[in-house]
Amino acid sequence: MIVPTAMTTTFDRSTDLLERSHHLAALRQSLAAVRSTSRGRLLLVGGEAGVGKTALIRQFCDEQRRSVRILWGACDALFTPAPLGPLLDIAEPGGELEALVESGAKPHEVAAMLVRELRTRPTVFVLEDVHWADEATLDVLRLLGRRAETVPALIVASYRDDELDRAHPLRIVIGELAANAAIGRLKIAPLSPVGVAALAEPHGIDADDLFRKTAGNPFFVTEVLAAGEAEIPPTVQDAVLARAARLTRAARSLLEAVAVVSPKGEVWLLETIAADAIERLDECVGSGVLIADAEGVRFRHELARLAVEGSVALNRRVALHRKALAALADPPTGEPDLARLAHHAEAAGDTDAVLRFAPAAAARAASLGAHRESAAQYARALRFGDRLSAAERANLLERRSRECYLTDQYDDGIAALEQALECRRALGDRVGEAEAHRRLSEFLWCPGRTAEAERAARDAVTLLERLPPGRELVRAYHNLGRLCGAAARSEEAIAWGGRALELAEQLEDAEGAAHALTLVSSVQGDYEQLEQILERARRGGLAEQVGHISTLLAAAAVESRRHPRASRYLEAGIVHCSEQGLELFRLYLHAHRARSELDQGRWSDAADSAASVLRVPRTSTTPRILSLVVLALVRARRGDPQVWPLLDEAWKLAEPTGELPRLAPVAAARAEAAWLEGRHGTIADATGATLDLALRRSASWRIGELACWRRRAGIREEIAAGAAEPYARQLAGEWARAAEEWSGLGCPYEAALALADSEDDDALRRALRELQRLGAAPAAALVARRLRQRGARGLPRGPRPATRKNPANLTARELEVLALIARGLRNAEIAERLFLAEKTVDHHVSAILRKLGVRTRGQASIEAARLGVVAQDR
Amino acid sequence: MPRYIVERTFPKRARLIGAGAADTHLAIVDRNADESVTWIHSYVSDDRKKTFCVYDAPSPEAIRKTAARNELPVDRITQVRLLDPYFYT
Repeated sequence: MIVPTAMTTTFDRSTDLLERSHHLAALRQSLAAVRSTSRGRLLLVGGEAGVGKTALIRQFCDEQRRSVRILWGACDALFTPAPLGPLLDIAEPGGELEALVESGAKPHEVAAMLVRELRTRPTVFVLEDVHWADEATLDVLRLLGRRAETVPALIVASYRDDELDRAHPLRIVIGELAANAAIGRLKIAPLSPVGVAALAEPHGIDADDLFRKTAGNPFFVTEVLAAGEAEIPPTVQDAVLARAARLTRAARSLLEAVAVVSPKGEVWLLETIAADAIERLDECVGSGVLIADAEGVRFRHELARLAVEGSVALNRRVALHRKALAALADPPTGEPDLARLAHHAEAAGDTDAVLRFAPAAAARAASLGAHRESAAQYARALRFGDRLSAAERANLLERRSRECYLTDQYDDGIAALEQALECRRALGDRVGEAEAHRRLSEFLWCPGRTAEAERAARDAVTLLERLPPGRELVRAYHNLGRLCGAAARSEEAIAWGGRALELAEQLEDAEGAAHALTLVSSVQGDYEQLEQILERARRGGLAEQVGHISTLLAAAAVESRRHPRASRYLEAGIVHCSEQGLELFRLYLHAHRARSELDQGRWSDAADSAASVLRVPRTSTTPRILSLVVLALVRARRGDPQVWPLLDEAWKLAEPTGELPRLAPVAAARAEAAWLEGRHGTIADATGATLDLALRRSASWRIGELACWRRRAGIREEIAAGAAEPYARQLAGEWARAAEEWSGLGCPYEAALALADSEDDDALRRALRELQRLGAAPAAALVARRLRQRGARGLPRGPRPATRKNPANLTARELEVLALIARGLRNAEIAERLFLAEKTVDHHVSAILRKLGVRTRGQASIEAARLGVVAQDR
Repeated sequence: MPRYIVERTFPKRARLIGAGAADTHLAIVDRNADESVTWIHSYVSDDRKKTFCVYDAPSPEAIRKTAARNELPVDRITQVRLLDPYFYT
């Protein structure tokens, strides 16, 4: 068999890549910038499968190899990839990183070590095919992206942009990183007709036809040319198989073995499963179908592997998987790879092996923080779980549901728990049944199925109260109390929390007592107590509890407009939750931050924070509702379009829950939006039921807010229970006091609206100026109209953006930081000067670069000079 | 991507028109790209103090952000759809 070499070297590394010179130039420029400034960048390289992402990055690395260190990690196309696998690729055998990953370290620990390692010298760090990355690797990428500027490294992450559906975890990471100035994107397009023609020309193939059939996909084009058929194969699979058909029989059998042991086959493994066919390795490599290097043998492209794998006869495929399973269970060196074993076990249809390896792989993935992979491994075990005992099944189902819970896969998680519950009931395991009820109730609450959640919570209590009291009952009481607390039913919440606390103390259950105390303190608004619990949790390293309590404290402070206090909890909480991978709490904190920024008149920041939550397609409704409301209010107050679709979605999510904390913000926002549009008639209906609920719950801030909107709509009513202070002043007609109090709380828009209620021309003019300064066009127009009706003349038309002192809308703190950047201070020095944590300064710096629309500190300094920002000595 | 009309009032004759404006235009187009905002074209009043600009943008916030960066005033943003009077003839 003679393979014409000209055909296989079309994409050889030594030749120039066609139509990729400006991509290469962009990579070179990025690296040069990293080297001259010692500030790293993350470059996201996207394009369809087969478009040549890897070829491009390889060529770039090959030309840079002499001057910088290259680290290369690839994500595998496995249904359940091995957690942190790509990082093992780059770890030195026996080195610190390998030891850390193998010891089951969390993503933030791995990221921290990588950052330390990358600081040592200039590096190009490639992460290939991150659309296949496991969750833990994505977390590492996210953390690395945030700190890219602190290391002299060009981090290149490639991914298939045509494979990311809306809920793909990578999309969320990319969305989050997009706001960071140290992130760049490179999109690789297919070849043009001219490019295809240049490749087709030496082969005498019709270039137009080739372009039409391949759409310019470089991989497809080279496969067609290498196959050398007169007729152009209709699909990429046909092209690959036509090319493979030109190899010897033994070589084809080797190809099949490599395809089955995806993504790469170690030579020892192929020797075991492909036997003599391994001798045809040179032929396969020579023909350009396979690549062999120190790490093993793999296909030149995943598309080719898929085509060959699909062509292997079923019985042969099963036999190959069986051989691979046996060989991998007993590797010549190192520990067996559980994820790979579980994969081959399932493909081989070997029930025993699946039940042995899949749960073990799941447990390992969970311990590494790769909860999505863990959930999938449990699902794999359960697919083979017919002959397990009810107890074993229940156990696997409960573990799976826990992993689903952590990754917001609600429907799957709830289904698993319902099955587990049946198993426990059939076994007569009352405690287990009650625990399943309790977990189910936690789960049902998140997507807003509150009535079902409460029923399940009560079932758990009822079952356990018939048994001797134990820690399960403490948890069941606490859970029921928590549900009442979430619905702002304070008395019930405190009663159940009290029972939990009492029993926990009797049983000397310290953890249960801490949870119960958290609940009671948060419902009673006892900050001091909560701060003490928070401090204890921090010292005890209880990461999840720290996230939870920070969220509670932040929510309470935001609701009562104590913004300085709120921002303390928010900043520390967000840093903590990002680093510990506590996704759900992080979303809550971002949503509360959005609200706090809105209330402080920082509308652009508020819109950014809200949008960052809405980009995440999670089913947990509370953060989503809060963020929809904030974004809608920013738009309504500016007079911008697309307000009502957001408010309608928020109402649809909030209404079925019947819970005040979810309903009240939406009801008040609907009232405000209607008021700004002059539709006062709809406000009574939009707020009536929610105000009643707020009165029943004695929720003073909610009562005040709703009552004030009703008053503005001309509804005269006596509010029996107390509204919170500034609202109470407003309702009593004391607009000057109200405005003062709102200003004291740092809420400029509310202060201006309070002034706007007055009958005094000076106050109305002040309201108008303030509303214009805030960019609140519709409210300003309402006030201007009233002034004109009262005969006022010569009203200001509002500031022009060009004359604004601070066009980038930086916060006071950001201005301080920018002034110090302009003086050339480093983050550590800025942190020291402003009494902040260095991490907090990192966050401010990213926000500043983003708002100024610049990429470097140098450019930021130039902008600072242009804006006249100067540091005040103090 | 939604389409918007952005109304702007300039205190003086708009500096976006006339000789030497091309560089300004390109700089604006460049900065807009950061937020995926595309400036399609604008209609300008005779006194050059009022413009009606047609944009494709992911959100009203994106339009405001780029307006601030380009130091352009915004009076009002309206989401619009195309109505073609000759479509049915």
